[in-house]
Amino acid sequence: MASDSSPADFNNGPSSPDDSLSSPIGNTFSSPADATYRRRRRSITPSEFDTPRAQRSRFAASETTPTGTRRANGHSAGPAPTPSSTDGDVPPSSEGGDGYGMDEDRPTFVWGTNISVNDVKVAIVRFLKNFRDESQWNTESEYLTEGKYIEAIKRVIEMEDDSLDVDARNVFDYDSDLYAKMVRYPLEVLAIFDIVLMEMLPIINPLFEKHIQTRIYNLKTSTSMRNLNPSDIERMVSLKGMIIRSSSIIPEIREAIFRCLVCGYYSDPLPVEKGRISEPTICLKEECQARNSMTLVHNRCRFTDKQIVRLQETPDEIPEGGTPHTVSLLMHDKLVDAGKPGDRIEVTGIYRAMTVRVGPTQRTTYIDCLHIKKSDKSRMLAEDQVEVDNTLVGNSEEILFDEKKVEQLKELAKQPDIYDRLTRSLAPNIWELDDVKKGLLCQLFGGNALKLPSGARFRGDINILLVGDPGTSKSQLLQYIHKLAPRGIYTSGRGSSAVGLTAYVAKDPETGETVLESGALVLSDRGICCIDEFDKMSDSARSMLHEVMEQQTVSIAKAGIIASLNARTSVLACANPSGSRYNPRLSVIDNIHLPPTLLSRFDLIYLLLDKADEHTDRRLAKHIVALHFENPESVQQNVLDIATLTAYVGYARKHIHPQLSDEAAEELTRGYVELRRRGNFPGSSKKVITATPRQIESLIRLSEALARIRFSESVEKHDVIEAFRLLEVAMQQSATDHSTGTIDMDLITTGISASERMRRESLVSSARNIIMEKMQLGGPSMRLLELLEELKQQSSGGELHLNDLRTAITTLASEGFVAFVHGDSVKRI
Amino acid sequence: MVGVAYDCLANPLGAVRSTFEKAIASGSDPASFDGRDWGAVDLFRNFLYDDGGLSQVPILNSASIRWVQPNTLVRFRGMIQDMLGNEFYVGAYKDGSVWRTNKFTDVPQFPVDSTPDMRLWERRMLYCTPVPGQNSWAESSNAVMYASMESGTQQKEKRPRVDAEATDNMDYDVSDNGIEGSPSTKKLKENGHSTQQSITEGTSSGMIMAPDVNSGSLPCLIKIYDCLESDLKLNEVFEFVGVFTFDSEFKEDKDESDDFTNGFSEDVLVHLPPNKVPRLHCFIHRKLAVHDFLPCSPTNEPKPNLVKEIREALLRHLTAVLGNDGIAANFMLLHLLSMVYSRAGTVAVGKLSLNLTCLSRESAPVFGTQLGLALKNLLPFTQCISLTVDYLNTASLAPRKDYETSRLITGALQLAEGSHVIFDETRLEAGILNSVGVENARLLKTLIELQKVEYDFKFYKLDMPADIQMLVLSEGKSNILPADVVLPFHPSSVASAEVTTEALEAWRWYLATLRSLPHSIDSELQKVIENDLVAARQEDRTLGTQDFSRLLTMGRLMSMSFGETSLSLEHWQMVKELERLRRERLK
Repeated sequence: MASDSSPADFNNGPSSPDDSLSSPIGNTFSSPADATYRRRRRSITPSEFDTPRAQRSRFAASETTPTGTRRANGHSAGPAPTPSSTDGDVPPSSEGGDGYGMDEDRPTFVWGTNISVNDVKVAIVRFLKNFRDESQWNTESEYLTEGKYIEAIKRVIEMEDDSLDVDARNVFDYDSDLYAKMVRYPLEVLAIFDIVLMEMLPIINPLFEKHIQTRIYNLKTSTSMRNLNPSDIERMVSLKGMIIRSSSIIPEIREAIFRCLVCGYYSDPLPVEKGRISEPTICLKEECQARNSMTLVHNRCRFTDKQIVRLQETPDEIPEGGTPHTVSLLMHDKLVDAGKPGDRIEVTGIYRAMTVRVGPTQRTTYIDCLHIKKSDKSRMLAEDQVEVDNTLVGNSEEILFDEKKVEQLKELAKQPDIYDRLTRSLAPNIWELDDVKKGLLCQLFGGNALKLPSGARFRGDINILLVGDPGTSKSQLLQYIHKLAPRGIYTSGRGSSAVGLTAYVAKDPETGETVLESGALVLSDRGICCIDEFDKMSDSARSMLHEVMEQQTVSIAKAGIIASLNARTSVLACANPSGSRYNPRLSVIDNIHLPPTLLSRFDLIYLLLDKADEHTDRRLAKHIVALHFENPESVQQNVLDIATLTAYVGYARKHIHPQLSDEAAEELTRGYVELRRRGNFPGSSKKVITATPRQIESLIRLSEALARIRFSESVEKHDVIEAFRLLEVAMQQSATDHSTGTIDMDLITTGISASERMRRESLVSSARNIIMEKMQLGGPSMRLLELLEELKQQSSGGELHLNDLRTAITTLASEGFVAFVHGDSVKRI
Repeated sequence: MVGVAYDCLANPLGAVRSTFEKAIASGSDPASFDGRDWGAVDLFRNFLYDDGGLSQVPILNSASIRWVQPNTLVRFRGMIQDMLGNEFYVGAYKDGSVWRTNKFTDVPQFPVDSTPDMRLWERRMLYCTPVPGQNSWAESSNAVMYASMESGTQQKEKRPRVDAEATDNMDYDVSDNGIEGSPSTKKLKENGHSTQQSITEGTSSGMIMAPDVNSGSLPCLIKIYDCLESDLKLNEVFEFVGVFTFDSEFKEDKDESDDFTNGFSEDVLVHLPPNKVPRLHCFIHRKLAVHDFLPCSPTNEPKPNLVKEIREALLRHLTAVLGNDGIAANFMLLHLLSMVYSRAGTVAVGKLSLNLTCLSRESAPVFGTQLGLALKNLLPFTQCISLTVDYLNTASLAPRKDYETSRLITGALQLAEGSHVIFDETRLEAGILNSVGVENARLLKTLIELQKVEYDFKFYKLDMPADIQMLVLSEGKSNILPADVVLPFHPSSVASAEVTTEALEAWRWYLATLRSLPHSIDSELQKVIENDLVAARQEDRTLGTQDFSRLLTMGRLMSMSFGETSLSLEHWQMVKELERLRRERLK
């Protein structure tokens, strides 16, 4: 094809750096209305900006589709075609007939477009030189600081890097017209970008010879893979997805060198043209001129890395009843191996089409990558950045929530009923249980973890235990939370062993090394570990939880490994009462059979009791009838969808770190004292401990979580009040002393309530009195039943069981006051 | 359309072209046809539905593929087993000064290569298979009609099927390679490549993915034009009408193509070579419900007394099949009518899975087989899975994505809506489940509880909603498959049930039609039901949401079984009575 290179000066010359036919950009055709002009087009190779080598490698030399691509049009290309384009979406040139009679100072246009090469170039130079970040504006005056990208270029030179990252939003902010052109005609505009860089580099550092590519990222709009359609071809697009497969690295030849087999003459490097290298048929050495003697010298050719990667939609973008779409990515040079299968990435690139061999009419499409960015893998962003080392990347701070979304969330947070609305949105199909849901909401948001300089750590995670009758949708709640949680493991107590939950040491079968394998709790670090059937867990497994739930670490000491692993996880457990149904006459501990030490580590313990209440029964019946005979959508209204909810929680956890206000702290103290005082009834000798220091920690966590729900940076008084209420609602159900009706933390911590303890003590003393009365020292023994009769006569009213008496006598026996003889008789000693 | 000048049946592409030319001639810009039709589809819609041409269109299946000519109009009935994404193609291009179109075909009529004037359009590709478990009576009635034609074209049978354009190459003999279907004879000749190599490669990849054309179940690659994505969902059953191509032009040139193109070329298609899997360029697609599979659907409206009669007869039949167990027959009837009609959160409303217990090792084969046969005759898609430890440990129940081939590998639980599956648990013995077994057991449990199947996409799982009637046969209550209704089975006799074809047809119609009836409940009865539920719960605290749901589903199905659209008190009482009898048995 055309090879006449007209000496082009800078103003009208740089039509395209890649119009040398080595690049696919150069060999794609636009569609002039009159086909006869096509052949007469010629390209200009600006001599002073000879196409840099690295530049060619950016766009694969392949046979791209001949449609849709516009190429730079040389200024003196004879009667240039009218850009009355056949592409409906190409805006007709504003300067119609730009090609006709062009004289030297007419602007050069990119083929079929209204892009003036010069204008774009000027715009780019202006952008690179003058763009400043907001922060730069604020700190120093405009004249003192250099533009953001000038700095960036200098950095690139220092690092001897080969690419310059350009934030597309910066381009948009500075010059929206340039942005529009760049997205619409990426090949052309990027080529100009590269030329501009080529020019600027020698000015900054004349010794720098490498070529720098522009890598655009962070487009304003991101396309969904599903919506890519023919009109996107040859445009810049930005997509999110997950890598499912990477090809091996393919060396791609860029320049070839041939040697003559006859005379040993080495040819000059031959560039790739149209995806092919034409082997010289004749030796170029004048003396030789042997035919068909040239052979490729592999180790003197130049190759670049290339990789083809398949990207697949992430599950959240797949509509119901669909399968994920995939798209191929073409990566070059530095981008090769930047992502591994399983990584979620956001990619910016040019969507292109290519003919396939399967059929002449089909096209296969791929994205020529300019930039990729890894995004976080977790569903909800769990990091509160306490211990995450930020050594990874300095300049590319991860922008995980785009501004619009954040605005939306903030708007949402401002609503006065956001707390109730979130509560409603949590497992909307599980009916009632509002207070439990509020507790779970607090768990999702979590409190602030605190690490004192002394090394003491206070967990911010809230642990919740649900105890309840079968069929009270505990498991469904658990499943729901598991689905929503940032990271988390769902496990059933029945099948979990201690090591399965925490960590275990294993021998690697191949190397023989001992390795640590993480268990469920370690794996759900910074997430929620949901444990179903907590009561059916083996004791040894349960005892492992002690450390996890307060210290938030798992310590391992075996087989030569002593390690402490982080397990900063919230535990959400649910258990069935010991005798399948909750027995209200027994204490919680008796009902769930959990050691009190473990139980006290739960911030909230909810009892989901199936009360025989006609009112709730009716509501249940109504709910189910409605479910079956009405439009189910009408049953649940005004709820947030799960995606919004997740985003909301994620944002709050990441960005909101509320602090206690003085007022709230006061209220907390007051409330706590009140709670403790409640145990002391006036005129009663009974001592009931109602709250422990653990509770005050729980309260702080809960209030912090409640403030987070409102996106508030400070914990207000009403948060504390609500936290008290939640604790009380939970406690009232679980820590009610069923004989007195007061809250009794002793019930949780020792399993015996204060009133029970008092009753036992009085029984012991009255038993002692009776024995003193009736029995002689060393005298005949007395049967327990007789003793019971005596006691019953004395203490009128109040039921007395043989078992209670036996416990009392055992206490006495341990004092050495009496002794059991023949099992059922007592003897005073 | 006035006067069809072209044969829609034999030359559909001609019809497409002439409408295109007409549209262009009337001044339309080809660019305006991006993503829309210019009247070709309307032409075919008129021909098929208004002029009754549909019945003349041959159905493509493993039998008819022997004689159906390429580039003619065919229909294909099948389930969308996999979606292969979108394909871009040169939709319209200028050949000289004339616009041509490539829509509805893979092979351009005129060479495309050099023209710069072209429009890229897109089409969706769906991989469809015959509905899993489809019973022979539900195969199309047309098969019979064409059977004679087939025998008439007997001599063609052994011949390789080739494109009309390649007929001159038909004598190129490849049969000594032992392969049916001619791979790319023409191109092979041109390129002078080793025939042997290409063929073996072609077949080896074809063998993995595409079942052999002759093996009985014929998959088809459907190319859909201009349609909304939400129209077609995975596992739905459709009838596609379109141009049939069976492209023998295809070649696989491993040598020439460089790595670059290899990496990109739709690897999907590499594994579905056109000489193995037929293509259908679809004009019109139509979602099929169960009653579309009835050989001849009685068009009469469901008259109350007629429905009642059929119901009685069917109940008698089921009672006989179930060894004279009337209660079981009643539950079976409700079970057969059940379908998921809405979902609220994770709850699938309307399902009614049935677990017949007390089937011993001896009685299971007798009644199980009998039941299986009876259901086969009643429902279009039935399957029977015998659960053993071995099966659980080895079977792949959930579909799985294979990223090497970019295909969704089907699993036993990838079933069309409204399929019926019998799980025979009576042969399950004590044994150890490996990780696959545990996973499979979990899948089965989610399926029966939530009517969802988890598809394995390796990096993540994706829940696909399902609507499958599940019948479990077991000795005691099944724990792997906790069904909605658990009923101890008490047969008293073994009787072979004789049925007439007319009766069968009536029953099929009954089951297919009544299922889809709309249903409601008036507020008065709603009150009654609420009161009943509350009272029942006051009496028995163990009753939970599931029990209530079951009762309501049964109520709905009961009134539906009488062909009524709203629940009456009488039917509600019947449901309660049925439930009482069931509870008595459970004691």
